[in-house]
Amino acid sequence: MSEQAIVGTNAPRVDVRDKATGQAQYAADIRLPGMLYGKVVRCWEHAHARVKRLDLSAAAASPGVVRVLGPKDVTPKRYNSSVLDLMVSESMHDMLGDIDDQPIFTDHVKFQGDAICGIIARTEEAAERAAAKVVVEYEPLPVYLTAEASRAPGAVQFTPEKPGNLAFQLPEAMFPNHALGGGDVEAAMREADVVVEDAFYVPKQKQCQMEPHAYVAKVDSGGRLTCWTSSQMPKLVQRKLSKLFDLPMNLVKIVPTVIGGGFGTRLGMISEPQACAMALAVPGHPVKLQTLREEDWVISPSRHPGKYWMRIGFKRDGSPLACDARFENYKGGYYLDASGTAFTAGAWLGGMYRFPALRYHGESYFTNQGLTGAYRGYGNPQTNFVLEQLIDRACAEFGADPVEWRKKWHKGVGDDGWCPGVTYPSCALDECLDRGAAAIGWTEKRRKYAKQDGPIRRGVGVAVMNHTSGAMPMLLEHTACTVKLNEDATAEILFACSDMGQGSHTALKQIAAETLGFPFEHVQLSPGTSDVAGFDIGAHASRTIYVGGAAVKKACEEVKRQLFERASLQLGVPADQLDIRDKRIFVQEDPARGIDAEAITRAGVYHFIDPATGEPGGVPGQIQGYVSFFPPHNSPPFGASFAEVEIDTETGEVRVVELVNAHDIGRAINPAAVEGQLEGGIQQGLGFVLSEEIYYDADGRVQNNSFTDYKMFGPEDMPKITTILVEDADPIGPYGAKSVGESGLVSPVGAVANAIFHAIGIQFTEAPITPEKVLKGILEKGVRDYATIRRS
Amino acid sequence: MKNREITLHINGEEYRLNVAVNRTLLDVLRDELGMTETKYGCGTGECGACTVLVEGKEVNSCLTLAATMDGKRITTVAGRADFGRLDHIQQAFVDEAAIQCGYCTPGMVMKTASLLAKNPDPSEAEIRHALEGNICRCTGYEKIVKAVKKAAATMPGRAAAVEPCKEVVQ
Repeated sequence: MSEQAIVGTNAPRVDVRDKATGQAQYAADIRLPGMLYGKVVRCWEHAHARVKRLDLSAAAASPGVVRVLGPKDVTPKRYNSSVLDLMVSESMHDMLGDIDDQPIFTDHVKFQGDAICGIIARTEEAAERAAAKVVVEYEPLPVYLTAEASRAPGAVQFTPEKPGNLAFQLPEAMFPNHALGGGDVEAAMREADVVVEDAFYVPKQKQCQMEPHAYVAKVDSGGRLTCWTSSQMPKLVQRKLSKLFDLPMNLVKIVPTVIGGGFGTRLGMISEPQACAMALAVPGHPVKLQTLREEDWVISPSRHPGKYWMRIGFKRDGSPLACDARFENYKGGYYLDASGTAFTAGAWLGGMYRFPALRYHGESYFTNQGLTGAYRGYGNPQTNFVLEQLIDRACAEFGADPVEWRKKWHKGVGDDGWCPGVTYPSCALDECLDRGAAAIGWTEKRRKYAKQDGPIRRGVGVAVMNHTSGAMPMLLEHTACTVKLNEDATAEILFACSDMGQGSHTALKQIAAETLGFPFEHVQLSPGTSDVAGFDIGAHASRTIYVGGAAVKKACEEVKRQLFERASLQLGVPADQLDIRDKRIFVQEDPARGIDAEAITRAGVYHFIDPATGEPGGVPGQIQGYVSFFPPHNSPPFGASFAEVEIDTETGEVRVVELVNAHDIGRAINPAAVEGQLEGGIQQGLGFVLSEEIYYDADGRVQNNSFTDYKMFGPEDMPKITTILVEDADPIGPYGAKSVGESGLVSPVGAVANAIFHAIGIQFTEAPITPEKVLKGILEKGVRDYATIRRS
Repeated sequence: MKNREITLHINGEEYRLNVAVNRTLLDVLRDELGMTETKYGCGTGECGACTVLVEGKEVNSCLTLAATMDGKRITTVAGRADFGRLDHIQQAFVDEAAIQCGYCTPGMVMKTASLLAKNPDPSEAEIRHALEGNICRCTGYEKIVKAVKKAAATMPGRAAAVEPCKEVVQ
């Protein structure tokens, strides 16, 4: 088919009418007959302590209580709530050293909010009243909030499996000297004319998805455990729960619910183990477990904070020679995702510029902060904050225009992406930079703001990014998809990957309709429960369209092949000379000759022998297409962001005036949905760089687990947004599409930091760059015109 | 815990209830009446997901005790749709792709209804100011602001020109 009729249009979202009227059912909306209510009793007083005594007797006697569960009343097995262990081979798993260190209920509190015991009661209120009657005596332990503190000699060990509280470092067997990269960094640095170097701090950011985590779990009379969850990875949660509770997978059923925002927080499990342990204690009764916002805040994993040091060497003419970096991130009390971000932060670094030599160390240390895990961008905004500021510092040193320098030195087609050996098949970053620069008025504003007077200063900055489209080849990439044709030639698609609200199921339906040659509304797509849907790794790594879309396309192509084969018999024309549009199969050279798809599908299902002739009416058999798909490659997206900021040098306030996000997404299957991803990403990126951080007191207790005390950009804070979709079809992605889910928030981080540098001549090494830090910087260093920083 | 007999008029229907005096309107709507279209987001009046209209005015139902609502007229987002037919605000949110995860949407729609009742022709600054109490983490507010503008332009009985819809596959 030459021109696409459905791909590339703003087809109506499949789920939004239900969401607009309140009919969409999120986990907390589920009510089942005989339902009981669970409550997890958590340690709020301490971030590190041992449980000396646990007395559940008063709680058990509380009115309405059905059961109370302490650590000894549930499986002693431990789990890892993240999923990286399931995404690698066994040998790789051993090499990475992922561990299962999370108990369902604990006697060693490792972070504030750790689960102590559970209450099951007839009402939520009864469960809460009983929870207040649980008596726990703690023995406080020293609290470690940084890597420096937790790795100090004599520190309490979080687990005997990880000596020195070093949860993870890049393994020697894969990364000599525990470093990612290649080339001789020290020798290259000796040749450098310009070296920029600094130690940065990157913040702990919260996903703040609007739907607090909630679950329903039930064990039926056949012993089957069913869990209703909004996990981003229903199939992997099925596997995890099966292992934890020693149940075969056919006795663990996951019902995916509508997801009220994810951004990584629902990658794997959060409280599914507790909800299911409760259900197993009261067979026959569904148990609902709803977390409060302040509870959700401390128990769900957040973005990895930590220290990020980097130095980059250049020749005087600006050509880069070497990059040397170390990211020491602060885990929470448990291991989950310790290996992932420590690796990927360096992978994005390696994928960005043509450094002849690169050495990146990534390490994760246990601390008593709240858990850290997946958050949209997964190490990328951290790297962006550091790398992109140092590039601009170097550009100022050797007098290069930051846009021109990036155009000259970013990686592109044929270069290795974030994984050595997996080359970029497409790259339109130059076009992103050109169009973004034009949109913000780069040349004029860079000149105009380089010299300013008065207390209000403006600046413009740029940053670029690369990301990923799926996790191949580092992690398993696999999606199964079934497409079934009904007898009236409508299609039903079964596909287990969740739509987190980004519109992926709509875009997948567009891909299906386009491929089949069916009208959009004659295609249905349902995620299916785990017992019906085939395998899928889940919605992460910005993979749903690139990998899932390719799987849907392939399954639809198989259906089309079967349709054409049958049509070929009827029309007497080889199948490769046929085409289909609006469900009518026709001869390419003679479009008047054709047959309706419905005639074929109907005859396939309602198949009879003609009593008059004795001949069969068409080919028997319902048409189905099935693939178990492993993508052949990875086609990362690129993006350039441009920010204009206005700084009040008397108050330290930074106002973002405009943000331009120009992204090379290959092809927009649904442009409005793609814009939505990039616009929403900006809100989270601006938060990372300017306002969002979880704060702890010295005892490790969170200080701002509420929307009042944790500052996100609201509608009045948001700048003017310009979104530019650069469509240069990727040769591999379905209909040319690459990913867009995570990337929108990455480069706004560096662009804003660089705009601040342009405005007042100061770089800030700690994010978020709050007004207090800006004022302090101005008092210490003084406002400098950018023009005076440049040497040439 | 004391109880109180109250009558609520929700989306045009009358409900006679006996509620504990510590129950919030959100609890009663969701848990006692099964009207789960109104969402719990924070329980402290910070996110606006639980916004409903009481006598036409916006209220955070998580901060409102049900016992104080005796005799009141309450509208939830479900009350704005007529057997699947969306009202102009809901339709504007759909048309402008202003809904992603959808969890904030019921509150956003009710907040928009309240705003447009007071100010049928709000400026962009007024829209953004009105939405400050409603948090969305998906959209960056860009398309929500457009949806509110469109809702204002398409308010029934309004003669103002309507912006052309974006391309839609039929």
